[in-house]
Amino acid sequence: MTGHAAAGRRVLVLRCPAWLDSDSASSGNVSSGSASSGNDRADSDGAGGDSAAARAFESVVAVVEDFCPQVEVLRPGVCAIATRGPARYFGGEAELARKLTEAVGRSGVICQAGIADGLFAAGLAARAGPTGLLVPPGETPEFLAGLPVGVLDMPELCELLPRLGIETLGQLAALRPAEAASRFGPPGKLASRLARGLDPRPLIPRPPAADLSVQLEFDPPAEQSEPAIFAAKALADQMHDQLAAAGLACVRVQVQVRCADGQELSRLWRHDGLLSALAVAERVRWQLDGWRGTAGIILLRLVPDQLVRATGRQLALWGDSVPSDRVARAAIRVQAMLGHDRVTRPVMAGGRRPADQVLLVPFGDTGVPQRPADRPWPDQIPAPAPATVFGVPLAASVTDGSDREVTVSGRAQLSAPPARLSADGSPARAITAWAGPWPVTERWWDPRHGRRQARFQLVTEDGAAWLAALQDGRWLIEARYD
Amino acid sequence: METGVARVISLSPARHRDDVLTGAGLLPVLPALRELLPGGGLQRGSVVTTGDWGLLSLALAAGAVADGAWCAIVGVPAAGVRAAAQAGLDPERVLLVAEPGPSWAQVVASLLDGFDIVLLRLPDQPSAQLRRKLEAAARRYGSVLVVAGDWPGAQSRLLVADAEWTGIGAGHGRLRARKAQVIASGRGAGERTRSAWLWLPGPDGAVTAAAEPAGVAGTGPHGGYSGTAEPLVSSG
Repeated sequence: MTGHAAAGRRVLVLRCPAWLDSDSASSGNVSSGSASSGNDRADSDGAGGDSAAARAFESVVAVVEDFCPQVEVLRPGVCAIATRGPARYFGGEAELARKLTEAVGRSGVICQAGIADGLFAAGLAARAGPTGLLVPPGETPEFLAGLPVGVLDMPELCELLPRLGIETLGQLAALRPAEAASRFGPPGKLASRLARGLDPRPLIPRPPAADLSVQLEFDPPAEQSEPAIFAAKALADQMHDQLAAAGLACVRVQVQVRCADGQELSRLWRHDGLLSALAVAERVRWQLDGWRGTAGIILLRLVPDQLVRATGRQLALWGDSVPSDRVARAAIRVQAMLGHDRVTRPVMAGGRRPADQVLLVPFGDTGVPQRPADRPWPDQIPAPAPATVFGVPLAASVTDGSDREVTVSGRAQLSAPPARLSADGSPARAITAWAGPWPVTERWWDPRHGRRQARFQLVTEDGAAWLAALQDGRWLIEARYD
Repeated sequence: METGVARVISLSPARHRDDVLTGAGLLPVLPALRELLPGGGLQRGSVVTTGDWGLLSLALAAGAVADGAWCAIVGVPAAGVRAAAQAGLDPERVLLVAEPGPSWAQVVASLLDGFDIVLLRLPDQPSAQLRRKLEAAARRYGSVLVVAGDWPGAQSRLLVADAEWTGIGAGHGRLRARKAQVIASGRGAGERTRSAWLWLPGPDGAVTAAAEPAGVAGTGPHGGYSGTAEPLVSSG
């Protein structure tokens, strides 16, 4: 679900310090103990505080909407717009920023504006200096390069990277993206994108008007984290139901925990894929585990943040097979070792080739196959299915009795019966039985993905059976029945 | 990400066994496979080998998964998920770690704590020390490690001794079913050798018991079966 907003997309971020109790929310630090004492916060009375603040911030958003109808509120106090249209209308980006901050200022609110390529850089530009910064088009990488990695919204990574000698975004950007992803998992992948000035996702227009957060009070206070984690799962389900009803899903969620002694622990969790209920609960577990609170938990609140349009039935996808805590923990542990994308769950998809019939979705993500499995796929090979399916077909050679490569004419006529098979460079084996050719013309309307094949099943002397195909004059092994 | 690993591991001080199947320490298997295994199931905490990777490996996990277990498949980038589904192994309860990397043993050890059954194709031949470590992990967590490859010390070894495809001829028909003889041997002198004829797979991809081919004397590893292919349905 990662957005592929190209670098170069110009974004303006407007930031009103009055709503931001500290920079903790943006730098991702745990704001334990300090949050509800409220520095500049308009309303610090706790649970209702944020939604009250969000409602008050609506008046600022309304002013911004006069400049651009599509406003994205990142959280109370920060919103963003795409500058392309409005900058043309208001006479340039600098002029747009000036007029916008003045208009907001007239309503009695002090604000900063930053413009850069991409949301992440624009947010940082807004915080640079008292009034913000305009980073000219194309200069975003240089602007980011000098900033410390601490500006990333990723506590663990920000702790880890400096210990490895990676102090600035420039150094992080210099790592190969694949390397960053494999070394540091999904946060690394995201951080690498951000450091290179790419957006993690496209900007979404306009927040929903209704408050979509969910909360649960504990009375008596929960002395251990387990009940809170258990409740988190149910809360996350409830949150997803509300989002789904609004046609939305979230890629980031804020988890707020309040204790009996007034301490508050708030953390934003972002996920490369969409956050499933289980993924949310898991993050609550991490958050509580990393925190040694002394008093019981009295409130758990989930605030969906960074909404995207729901693309389908992602929550129903796993059906009844929701992994238990124990299974999920093991899977996540392995993801921590190997990287997010290398631990997957298979989802059946449609397609004529065996390798197309399965979609691998990283554990914790949700994925809906583009080609549904429950439709008839003509030319699909009938059961039984092969137990070994090569993602990349093996090169092969199929020859006739006189060692000539077997060919198939345009009218599906064989040059000679196949007699010997050599797969992937191994010694040739005699073919004892065979069937085919079955012509397959796949996506003939699409020159890029189109494929014309003649398919065969072959049995060799060693008892192995193969699914072979002749495509563009080359023999390929697509699967093995073993 | 060393700290990440350490941290996540520390999250499970007391493991939750709520989802673990109860029973006499046995994971159920498909009916056709019962007579191949002592006790008629997969002994929790044990290691079982299946020779080369193939449908037999997938079929071994199917019964347990149908009963609510979770299965991880490690080191098999080309695992046929559709074949697994047809054999009764529900893909919804499967986790794939296609490329476990050089520290694959650590990956397997982590998965054994969480998944009831782990199918592993050995990326390389592990040392005796590494094998003992993984055997200990399987015992500790009560999971079953099914290895495609060689594993001295495995409690059970299954092997496809003889197999014949039916339904396909010289230029006609198609692959319809494979009749296979599976031989199982246990560890220790007291453990007898077991054998069963299976459809591996049958015409719908399921793994079921097959009749012993006529004219086979005994059930030795090489029964001398030399029957011709017998199409189940008239080929067309």
